[in-house]
Amino acid sequence: MHGAFSPAWTRACATKAVDTGCQMKLEFTAEQEKFRQDIRTWVAGNLPSTTSHKVHNGLTVTRAELQEWAKILGRSGWLGYGWPKEFGGPGWDAVQKHLFEAECARAGAPRIVPFGPVMVAPVIMAYGTPAQQQRHLPGIASGEVWWSQGYSEPGAGSDLASLKTRAQRVGDEFIVNGQKTWTSLAQYGDWIFCLVRTRTEGKPQAGISFLLIDMKSPGITVRPIKMIDGGYEVNEVWFDEVKVPAENLIGEENQGWAYAKHLLSFERASIADINRAKRELEKLKRIARLEGLWNDPRFKDQLALLEVDVVALEMLVLRVLSAEQTGKQSLEIAGLLKMRGSEIQQRYSELMMLAGGPYSLPLIREAAEAGWQGDFPGAALHCAPFASTYFNLRKTTIYGGSNEVQRNIVAQTLLG
Amino acid sequence: MDFDFTSDQEQLRDAVRRYIDKSYRFDRRRAIINAGGFDHEAHRALADLGITGLRIPSFWGGTDLGLVEAMIALEELGRGITLEPVIQSFICSELIREFASEETKQSLLPGIASGETICTLALQERGARYDVHNCQTVATRTEGRYALTGTKNIVPVGDVAHVLLVPAILDGAVSMFLVERHTVGASTHGYLLQDGGRGADLRMEGARALLITTFGTRALQLAQDYGVAYTCAYAVGVLDKTLETTVNYLKTRQQFGQALAKFQVVRHRLAEMKMQLELARSMSYYVTMKLTSPDADRTRAAAQAKCQLGQSMRFIGQQAVQLHGGIGLTDEYILSHYFKTLTQLEMTFGDSLYHLGRVSERLDETSGVFG
Repeated sequence: MHGAFSPAWTRACATKAVDTGCQMKLEFTAEQEKFRQDIRTWVAGNLPSTTSHKVHNGLTVTRAELQEWAKILGRSGWLGYGWPKEFGGPGWDAVQKHLFEAECARAGAPRIVPFGPVMVAPVIMAYGTPAQQQRHLPGIASGEVWWSQGYSEPGAGSDLASLKTRAQRVGDEFIVNGQKTWTSLAQYGDWIFCLVRTRTEGKPQAGISFLLIDMKSPGITVRPIKMIDGGYEVNEVWFDEVKVPAENLIGEENQGWAYAKHLLSFERASIADINRAKRELEKLKRIARLEGLWNDPRFKDQLALLEVDVVALEMLVLRVLSAEQTGKQSLEIAGLLKMRGSEIQQRYSELMMLAGGPYSLPLIREAAEAGWQGDFPGAALHCAPFASTYFNLRKTTIYGGSNEVQRNIVAQTLLG
Repeated sequence: MDFDFTSDQEQLRDAVRRYIDKSYRFDRRRAIINAGGFDHEAHRALADLGITGLRIPSFWGGTDLGLVEAMIALEELGRGITLEPVIQSFICSELIREFASEETKQSLLPGIASGETICTLALQERGARYDVHNCQTVATRTEGRYALTGTKNIVPVGDVAHVLLVPAILDGAVSMFLVERHTVGASTHGYLLQDGGRGADLRMEGARALLITTFGTRALQLAQDYGVAYTCAYAVGVLDKTLETTVNYLKTRQQFGQALAKFQVVRHRLAEMKMQLELARSMSYYVTMKLTSPDADRTRAAAQAKCQLGQSMRFIGQQAVQLHGGIGLTDEYILSHYFKTLTQLEMTFGDSLYHLGRVSERLDETSGVFG
């Protein structure tokens, strides 16, 4: 009989066993739910409805609207929502950050333009001098100063370390020459943080420096690139004998690669963009109903597959958050988030376009603008933005380290 | 929201893993298959570990652990592709606890915990596909006694089990009964299954039966949802071991003058396999934590999870064989056994297409984990 045998592992656990196990659980705590509710209330009261209308309907959000939202967040100290308290941030933990993002996405807030608050700020905090921190962080936190990211070059895409933009130290200045490309929203940029080559000998990674450059400096030319959807989201940026004060160097010369990698270690969970995926899946269901697809079993099955994909991705995100929160588990699975999240973004935009069918095809520039008479579901041409969005989102598996590069990283981790 | 395991849970994992590594190696498993696919000693060893009674209250001699502990134990058993009907023990424990009379609990649960009684579910009927509610077996009542007539197929350990839980139609509605295998009017015809375990047809012609509950629909839905969750947990273990085995093989196998793991085409395939493994693990956690949710939530989560697991199992199984080459198709090497087990698990408690249909029917209710 079993009663005579009591394995050591059963004793402690058995006394506190409940049906869901000792500890593992899916729900957020009451405190976290309260936090979520507070954020929801705040967003409802502060997000401009013209902007959320555009986001919910896939219309183009202007620079002014993006910056308006950034400044609203900035006034509450939430533009740098991932910042620690010592730099004026809210000091939220991983779950609070996730809930903040979830509530913003749900309400139809535009994505926070990440280059300042999410990307360069943590680098300035970790490696910048007190003078650099005092000079740059307040403008980022308030949303006053628009930052861009100068990484990719015509000859350095996935192989970023092969970048050639040269910065030569002459006295108290660096002289920068070269070209960056795919620079997102640089046409709006006040400042740009760049990876530049300060040494040509040795390993390519060992000759890169991290420079902050005022985009009003003489010698900088920005040319917007017209993209597949007709929009201007990325730019070429030329540097011709641009003088950059040496005080704008972050950390040490030739150590920039390490700082850039540090930057990549931030916001692991948010890279999957799960909250946007959930919002868009709900929209896709509404569109499927409007387009008479709700009783089409073949289309419904495609929706069901996406639903499963979205739940599985959300669970993957929650696992990463849990690991970040408690620090007890390996974060190895975080490497999967960009791959999966980007595939899902492409999938919902594809299904949205297919749901519109031929009504996704009219190329109406105004269809991306608010106030256009067809800009709401149910209007004759409400499907017009879908194909453009589909084309636009092909970028997601290319940028931020292409998914092929991501697979290399995942395989490297697996193979050791 | 917390996915950490407690140290007690880690101890449980270690205990099962040690058992597999020490006592359930490949040759041991092969011997069990050669002897017909079931071994009483192996089953008793799991009982001694406290596994068969894991979901049984201590009052009836069980170890009385939670659903997360069940998941952990099954993951480890999956890593060893064990043949013993632990999933059946767990489901039957749940159903008996939930629906049976005190007398029946007393007569069955201690035996399941001790390993002396083997209990299984006889659900599958010809033509029902994966619809557990599709039942042609009929129950009749004569002077307060019940007799069943009908046939069930692919009953796990059907010709080994001492007792079987059998759904049948009584007064126009499905009820759940208990049938002793050796009772008059019941006969079984056993065979090996693809994974090396045993299955059987159960034929009943006026077989004596004990009524467990007239709430048969609810019992069957619970059986399917719990069955899905347990199958997912076990499958995660098999998937984990399949990928681990493949990674190790690719690091050592040399072709064109270097290890296969050096080829990018192979590395990218491994990354996709890792993705499918972690999506599967995530959904196994999900359905486990949803088992105690209201019925509709639980059933929907089970459908979503099995849909993911089915896809992951098919992809990882097929790719593991492909990356191994010919050796992956031999009976001598363990990989083909993982592949067969994964394939069989997809068709256990509903395959991917079946569960996709169930998710599709429930799209109104959903939007992500907390929808």
